[in-house]
Amino acid sequence: MSRRSVITTLMIVVGLLLMVLAYFVGGAPWCADAVECSNPRLEWSPAIFVLGVVVAFSSAIYYEVAKDKKE
Amino acid sequence: MTAGTVSKEPLPQGVGNFTGKWMIVTGIALLGVIVGIVGFLVEKNQGMVATGMRDLGTMQGATWGVYISLVVYFVGVSFAGITVAALIRLFNLEHLKGVARMAELLTVVALILGAMAIVVDLGQPLRGIVNLFRYARPQSPFFGTFTLVISGYLFASLVYLYLTSRRDAATLAKRPSKLRSFFRLWAAGYENTLDQRERDRRTSFWLALALLPLLVVAHSSLGFVFGLQVGRPGWFGTLQAPAFVVLAGVSGIGHIIVMAAIIRRVVRAKRRIGMDAFAWLGRFLLILLLGYLYFVVVEMLTLIYQPSIAEQGLSEALLTGTYAAVFWGSVVALVLPVFALAWMAITRSWKLSWLVAVGVLVNIGAIGKRYLIVVPSQTHGQLLPYGVGSYTPSWVEFAVAFGFFSLGVLMVAVFMKIFPIIELKDETIEVELDTEEVMT
Repeated sequence: MSRRSVITTLMIVVGLLLMVLAYFVGGAPWCADAVECSNPRLEWSPAIFVLGVVVAFSSAIYYEVAKDKKE
Repeated sequence: MTAGTVSKEPLPQGVGNFTGKWMIVTGIALLGVIVGIVGFLVEKNQGMVATGMRDLGTMQGATWGVYISLVVYFVGVSFAGITVAALIRLFNLEHLKGVARMAELLTVVALILGAMAIVVDLGQPLRGIVNLFRYARPQSPFFGTFTLVISGYLFASLVYLYLTSRRDAATLAKRPSKLRSFFRLWAAGYENTLDQRERDRRTSFWLALALLPLLVVAHSSLGFVFGLQVGRPGWFGTLQAPAFVVLAGVSGIGHIIVMAAIIRRVVRAKRRIGMDAFAWLGRFLLILLLGYLYFVVVEMLTLIYQPSIAEQGLSEALLTGTYAAVFWGSVVALVLPVFALAWMAITRSWKLSWLVAVGVLVNIGAIGKRYLIVVPSQTHGQLLPYGVGSYTPSWVEFAVAFGFFSLGVLMVAVFMKIFPIIELKDETIEVELDTEEVMT
């Protein structure tokens, strides 16, 4: 596996991980209580989710633009 | 163009050539943008009272009006752009390649306008933007809409547009022009080798594959913003999400048809965007329109069959009351194109003028339908014992809306002068230019 493929895969994994963590761990809990369930457990978790999307899709740019050492 | 070839020919498709006509169009669009900015500044200074929007219930108004209708409309337009572009690349639809880039550009422009339409709807825009990224709840459809649609989807579309245009940037970077450094930067070391082409194909395929489900989720969640509100007759319903996606396709395909017709004339690319491309778009639009009209009939039948008091008031307002003109106008604007498209499909004689008229009509119908989705349920769909409300947009809202459309035109016009809006052919630019010359 080339360095390009490894880093691209890593970026996708990190992006997805950020999205999952921000959504299920950092976000407000899935419950009905209006007070307890309103705010996210971790402030800025929506921003972390967006960051995950950005990292995941940036992997495509890296894959295309980066040069392999072999080349 | 092959590597190393240097040509003194002008850049293709009028790139870098600022003609008088272009200046006039851009000047008018710029004036429109200034009108929009003035409208927004008035709103910012006087507060939301400068608009026609008022609180629900006690003030008998609507808190979502023209701006939110435009959000839904613009985000809808963006849907078809990237869908068509993704389908072209996924299934290698050669005859549609001429519209791929403009479809991608349409998506980016429409999403930027959609995001701006949300911002102007907020009394405190900065506070709204910061708090969304700080406190948004994942369970809320707003989270899906504003994080996925506006940030994720916009970013993904930009990546898609960038990567699919690198080859053309590299080709143009080989030509001496004022924009050469810009193209070199855009190309970012692109070399037209077999390896690179294979990588392009792979990346385009996977990006398209990732984008399609993302945009269905994003548009459905926009439908859920309305469809999940149990206390709001007219909004609450399972059809909202799929109807949003289908109407999004209708307005977007209509836009692409109009845009492609104008651009093919402006850059003289009748061969690159042939009638077979328009026929494909026309058939796609016909299928989507039929699907959407089916949703409208089902929705209206459900609303009027055995309605509650609130639903009855709402259906009367739509069919015979305050909103009847907009409702029936929109229905006509969506039904007429069905007959026109069906006739062209059956006789297999696709006429560009008819298709452009259809594209304009479906967009008028779509704007009307978006307005009817957003406003009547607020003024006539109260479950609490408040009187019937009303909403009349103020000049400020019209000015801002005009500014949005002008900004859209401006962005497309500027893009056309800095980059080819139609993907260059895979062969050398010289061959393509010769072809265009023959046509001209």
